[in-house]
Formats: sequence, structure tokens, C-alpha cells
Amino acid sequence: MPPQPVHKRVHPRGVFSRFKGNIEAITIGVKFFFNPERSTLIYPKEYIKLKDGYRGFIVLIKDKCINCGSCARICPAAAMKLIRLPFTDPKTGRTRMKLWPVINYNRCIFCGYCVDVCPTEALYHVPYHDVVWDTMEEAETDLEKFQKPPEWKTEKEGIPVRYVFDEKKGLVKVRVEGEE
Amino acid sequence: MSGFVRGSVGYNDLGLPGMWTRRIGKDVYEVFIGPQHPGSGHTRIIIWVDGDIIVDSEIDMGYVHRTMEKLSEGRQWIKAIPLFERMAIHDACNVTLPYVRAVEKLLDVEPPERASYLRVLLCEINRIAAFLYGFGIFGVFLGHSTMYMWPFGDREVWVELAEWLTGARLTHTYPVFGGVRRDVPAGFTDALRKAIRYMRRRLEDYRKIFVDNPVIRSRLEGVGVIPKKIAVELGITGPNLRASGVEYDVRMNHPYEVYDRLDFEIPVFEEGDAYARVLQRVEEIKQSLRILEQVADWLDKHEKTPIMAEKFWKTAPPLYKKVFQEQGRVKLPATFAIMKVPAGKAYERGETARGEISYYVESNGANKPYRVRIHSPSARNAIVFKYILPGHRVMDLPAIYGSIDYFPPEADR
Amino acid sequence: MGALEILWKIISWPPLWQLIVLGLIVPLLVVIYILWFERKTAARVQRRIGPLHVSPKIAGGLQLLADLIRYSFQEIIIPKTVDKAAFISAPLIALILSILPVVGVPFTDKPEWFPIPMDYSLLVVLALVTLSPIFLIVAGWASNNKFSIIGGMREAFMITAYELIIIVSVASAGVAVGSYNIVDIVHAQTGWKLLGLLNPIAFFTAFVGVLLATSGFPFEIPESEHEVVAGAFTEYSGLMYGINMGAAYLKRMVYSIVLSVAFLGGWLPYTPGEGFVSGYLIPSIVIMVKATILMMIFSFLRAVYGRYRLDQALDLAWKIMFPLAAIGFGLSLAEAYLGIF
Repeated sequence: MPPQPVHKRVHPRGVFSRFKGNIEAITIGVKFFFNPERSTLIYPKEYIKLKDGYRGFIVLIKDKCINCGSCARICPAAAMKLIRLPFTDPKTGRTRMKLWPVINYNRCIFCGYCVDVCPTEALYHVPYHDVVWDTMEEAETDLEKFQKPPEWKTEKEGIPVRYVFDEKKGLVKVRVEGEE
Repeated sequence: MSGFVRGSVGYNDLGLPGMWTRRIGKDVYEVFIGPQHPGSGHTRIIIWVDGDIIVDSEIDMGYVHRTMEKLSEGRQWIKAIPLFERMAIHDACNVTLPYVRAVEKLLDVEPPERASYLRVLLCEINRIAAFLYGFGIFGVFLGHSTMYMWPFGDREVWVELAEWLTGARLTHTYPVFGGVRRDVPAGFTDALRKAIRYMRRRLEDYRKIFVDNPVIRSRLEGVGVIPKKIAVELGITGPNLRASGVEYDVRMNHPYEVYDRLDFEIPVFEEGDAYARVLQRVEEIKQSLRILEQVADWLDKHEKTPIMAEKFWKTAPPLYKKVFQEQGRVKLPATFAIMKVPAGKAYERGETARGEISYYVESNGANKPYRVRIHSPSARNAIVFKYILPGHRVMDLPAIYGSIDYFPPEADR
Repeated sequence: MGALEILWKIISWPPLWQLIVLGLIVPLLVVIYILWFERKTAARVQRRIGPLHVSPKIAGGLQLLADLIRYSFQEIIIPKTVDKAAFISAPLIALILSILPVVGVPFTDKPEWFPIPMDYSLLVVLALVTLSPIFLIVAGWASNNKFSIIGGMREAFMITAYELIIIVSVASAGVAVGSYNIVDIVHAQTGWKLLGLLNPIAFFTAFVGVLLATSGFPFEIPESEHEVVAGAFTEYSGLMYGINMGAAYLKRMVYSIVLSVAFLGGWLPYTPGEGFVSGYLIPSIVIMVKATILMMIFSFLRAVYGRYRLDQALDLAWKIMFPLAAIGFGLSLAEAYLGIF
């Protein structure tokens, strides 16, 4: 059934509804004053343990990479670049120059195109995004750095929490325990 | 050379080189609100006031112009999707969907049914989140700090859902040519239903503290009235147009995706004042919740079929199908990066939270767009500031601004 | 009489140390507490936590001190275009004048502890209370900024609206009792004959009048951020801005003290005895607690209401609140005629 227009009107108000409105507003204010139902995350003492599938930092698995360059080609922000490095084939022992992807997090917008376009699943997301670099140079990766997840300091210092959906309170903060 | 803005009593160019001059009335006070002002956003509203009454006003847009149309001409087709999201990042799916559909029209592909439902799902989540965002800004414009914090807190519920679905909180880049990028994760529809019930409960709280609050009603009733005729003449769009009594919603008049199969109402208010626009948005949130319920039911009933168009999916290697089976993630065909789109023209429109957005896409057969013309809803609503503000008091400016839900980055593109 | 004795006599002269303790230390503590409470209560209603990180153990209680320190180290910018003398002196005079009315308020019924003993203390307090807003207008005018002038003009409009309401409704307390001496007014309320209960109309209008006067929500119009940035204080920075903001809260404190002596029975139910502790300290603490509770209610309203439009606030003041205040005044006359007190 296609959508239908429904005409509505603003309900008029009189002296009584004015009075009622004031009472209702103050009542609900008092209600929340005594029962705040907070869901604030006290970051960085607590941090959200993000769900699998979160598009965080990108890590390269070098062994799977077939040097096709699709990731660099599809990158909308030109964050992924290809660099030419010598590669020694372990089977044949010959050394050839090959193109390897490196990422510059100054430019990356975390759209995840590169991960999705990689034909061999050589790239994957780590589920976090809160890393601080002191200089812009540190946000650029070389091939070595690109193979390791960035150092995640929040994890060492904070308590992992997770938000679960609740009918009454919206998001409820639950401490993640017993994992890893 | 002439003045770029006019005062109420005409402008008088003194002919000074390199200088704009304008004469304003003797008792008229010229106040520049913005771009650096707590109540302006990234735009400037110039008002001429006589006492407390605004006699003339002008909106000076373009402070966050990012040449999006031109930028899109320099990059491949798929790279424009994350770019266009930046117009309204909290409404990302709605804003980019017409572009994706226009390119799909040129490519002559149709998204599978399940992908259409998923697009609608994210569109409605985005719509609710964007309305809540607008409510928050509106609340703080009226000095109601609780209405600032509550919607922003409850928006988190929807942002969290969108993050679960797409992997990113705001810039989802979810719809791509031929389908969408991810299927719903396990347990998503249950969480969605909980969120829907929670939102209905919260709308009642909003009613008590904000919508039916006598102070807010006094501020909004009869303020910024846009009569039906004027609304049509000015070409404003979206909830603002419907609050003035015009039955126009792209989802109803030009249905796209699966909107014509869903059972929901398009609320229309007659009054056209700021209060009607608030109620309009409240009603639209309720209708979006209805849509989401139906989408959740549909997704539960139907099994996981591919969410990428057959044209791209049939050539997919086994690894792609394995990843989709295990993670629900669609791997993009490698051809997307260098894809050429057949020459032609396409026009598509969609209903965002702020109104109708339309894309005119022209291809000359290359791997980049030849021209993308965007007509964004906030740009169409901006004219309200010129024609509706005069005659109101200075303190009505935030009320009108907030009720229009004007979003400068979207208007300036 | 030795020099030390004279010095001691000067220090222990009630007006002097009351000026220091009541005029500087107590207001500072109360304002800091109220600002903290205001932020915390808004945070609770809005499902947030509010200030926390400065001192997590006492729920961010030191946040305001931290803010104060930050304000005091911030550069005070005086724009070239302002009228310097007025620009600098206006907030200072406003600050002094907003705390000055306390000299008329006796915190006990023992005359030796009065700041200045007088028979028309309520009227004097009301007269002094109305002085400080003028300097807010001066500050706005001297700033030479459009938003400041609009803010100052709004304050001027508000003065016309609230002054009469407050004076009429607070004076009705004196009318009911038959004396404008605050001590008499408090004494008349002995035995739970609180004027706030016997004349709730006058109390309500006085309450709303104070909200209007101290730009509390829903009447936060002169400083309304989204139209006039910071109203008359737009050009102020650093400690000068802090002084301006503090003056508003001091004003609210003084009004709350006036309301708590005129309507809530002052130091009652405690009866002051002899000596410093019983005769002065405890009664004044009782009054301050009552005043603080009133201020907490004012602060709570911030979380519930938005702000009225200027003309609507004036409408409300003149068309509803002023007639109500007049009715309250009549009620007081009737009570005085019936001889309740």
C-alpha cells in the first residue's frame, strides 16, 4: 500500500492546557532529576569495545597481497598509495620490484572501499579508531608499519564497555568481561 | 558594481572604488548575525531592525562551499559517493542515494529487492537521526538546554544502529551501484525493534518537556508563518512545505526503492508556522518508525539473498561469495574503480530529512562524471530567511531558523 | 586603650567584619555552590554527568574554582572603541551594588549584630536592589557593540517589568505585618504563620519577579546567547566577564535572602539566644539555607524551560504578574485588617 497524505491540525490550547503543560514539564524534569538514566561514557577511563565489522584502521596481510593495486585505485581520498619495493620470491629466490600498498592516515576517510575491493582479503579493519599521533609523519605508514595494527593505548588504560539496546533506557552501558 | 545586499529602503551606490556602500533608513539598525555567532551556523544572516522589528533581511550563503559538483568531475564514479556524503553527514544515506540511483539508471542495473529494503532501512534510520539533530539545535536556539541534550543522546541510539549495520557512525557509504555493501548482522532486527519502542516512549517525554511546554508554544505559535501559496512560490521543500499544507513528498509522489510497498502516512499540517513545523517533524519520526517496523518484519521473513545486482554478482569469484555468506559483507568488484558509465543523462530525486534532493548526472562515456548537478533541500529553504523574516521580532530569528532546520553545509555544497 | 584594642574594636565592629564575611566570603561560597548545583542539576535532568574530571571524588565540586582561576589568568581585552571609564567601572559598580542590599538585612533579632539598625530595612533593601541593573545598561552602552546595546536595551525593558512586581509583592509582606522592619516581619511569622503560606500569591509573584530580575529561565532574555551573543557583556573578557556573571548570581542570592526573610520566616523556627553562636551564627545559617534552597529551585527551572520572547515576557509581567501582585497586596491588606499577625 503506497503512502497516503493525512491532514492534521495543531491542537488549540487554553488556560487549562497551559497550566497542564507547565505541570507536565516540571514533573518530567523532577522525574529525571531523581532518576537520571545516564549513559555517558567516561572516556578514556572507559572505552567502547566496538562490534566486529567496524571500519577502523586498516592492516595489510602481506602474504596474501597479490600487488594488484586495486585498493590504491579505488581510494577516494588518495590515502592509499603504491610504493615500489624489491621482493624476493621464497620459492625461486629471485628478487623483483613489486608494488605494495601503504596508507596515509592523514588522508584516510575510513570508507572501507579498499578492504572491500581487495580480491584476496589481504586488508582488514581493526575495530578501533582512537589513536593519537604526535606528528603528521607518524600518521603515514610504510610497508612494515602497515602490517601491524596501530598501537591502541586506550585498551591498556581503560575499561572496555559495550552498549546494548534497551526498550526503556535506549542504550545501556554494559561492562565487557571475560573476553580476551 | 552594485551592492551585494540591499537594505529595506533601497541601496545607494556611492561609486567608491572597491567599496560596497548602501544607505539604510534613519532608525534602522543593521545587525550581522554570523558567520561567527552562536546562533547562526556557517552562514550569515543580515537583518535590518527598526526597534525590535526586523524590517528586512538577507541571507549570505556560501561560507562552507566546497565545490562538490566540480570535485566530482575529477574523480571516478564511485569516489563521488563518499564526497557527496559530506554535504550532510548525519543524513548520509538519504543524500547519496539519488546519485547512486541516477548512475544505476545510466548503467541499467537494478538493485535486488533485499538491497532496496536495506537502503530504505538506513535511509529511515538516518532520517530519524537527522530530525533529532535538528531538534537538538532547535532546542538550544530557544534556550531549552534539555531539548538540546535529549535528542542528541537519543540520536546515539540510531547512530549506534547505523554503525552496527554499516561499520561507520556517520559517513556510511552504504549504497553503492547495484546494491548495498552489507547485510544486516545477526540480532540487528531485535535491537531495531527495541530502539523503535524506546523512541516512541521518548517522543512522549519530548512532548511533555518541549512540544507542549507553554513557553515553547508561546515562542512558536504564529511565528514564521509560511502560507501555502507563498510556500509553493518560494519553492521550499521537505517538512517545511508539508507543514504549510502542501501534499508533496518524494516518497509519495515519485516513489523510489520500495517506498510504494510500505504502509505509512505523509502527515500534512495546515498552519505553516514554526510550531506546525515542529509537530510535522514529530509526526514524521513516528511514520519513519512505522516504516522501520515493516522493514524489520520483511528482513526477518526473507532469507539472505545477494544484495548486489546480478550484473556484478554473477562474475564474483568464490571468495567473494564466501565472505558474503560468512560476514554479510559485499566485496566490491574490482571494476568499480575504473568503471565506465555509458553516455547519457539521468535525473533522480530523493527525500532527505530536510526535503527533496535531486541529482542531474551526465556521462560522456568516461570513467568520471561529465557533470553532476545537485539541488539540495537546504539551498531551497534558505530563501525563507529573505521573505519570511521581515515583520518578526529579533527574538523570532532563532525560532524561525531552528524550525526551518537549515543546514549550511548542505546548502553550500 | 591600647592600639591593639582599638584595632580589635575596629575589626570586631559588626558592619566591617560582616562586610568581609557576608560581603565577600559567604557570597563566593554560595555562588560557587549554586553554579556547581546548576550545572549538576541540568546534567542530571539531561542524562549527563556534568562537571567531574576536576575532582572526581566530590563530583566535580572544584570545577568552579578551576574556572575562576582560568578566568583570572585570561587576558582582559579592552577594545579601542569603548568608553574606557564606563566600560571598566560599570561591572565593578554593578557587583558592589548587587551585594550592597545585604546591609539592610538583619540576620538575627539581636541589635548588636545588625549591620546597620534601621526601622525601614525592607524598603531600604528594595531600594538598593533596584540600583545595579542600571550599570548593566551602562556596560552595554559603553561597549559600543550592537549586540551589547540590544542586550542593554532588553535589560532596560525588563527593569520596567520586574521592578514594580517585586516591590509591590515584597512590600505586601510589610503591609500584612504593619511594619517595614524586617525583624518585625520575621517575628510576626512565628508559629508557622509564614507569609509564603498565608499570602502565596505575593510569594509567587515575587518568585517570578526574581526570575525576571536575575534573567533566570524562562526569562533569560538580556543575555540570550542565540540572538545577542552575551548581551551587555559581549565585549568583556577574562575576569571582567566573570565579574559580570558573578554579579547576576549575587543579585539572585540577595533576592533569595530577601524572599526568605519576607516570606519564609527568616531564622525561624530557630529563636536567637545570647552570644555569637546562638545569637548570630545559627540564625544566619538558617537564612542562608533557606535562600540557597530558593536559589536551587531557580536553577532547576533552567533544565525545564526555554526562554520567552521579550514582548511575551513583558506581556506576562504586566498583564498577569502585576495584577496578581496587586491582588497579593490586597490580600495582605485584608489579612492586616483581620488582624492575623
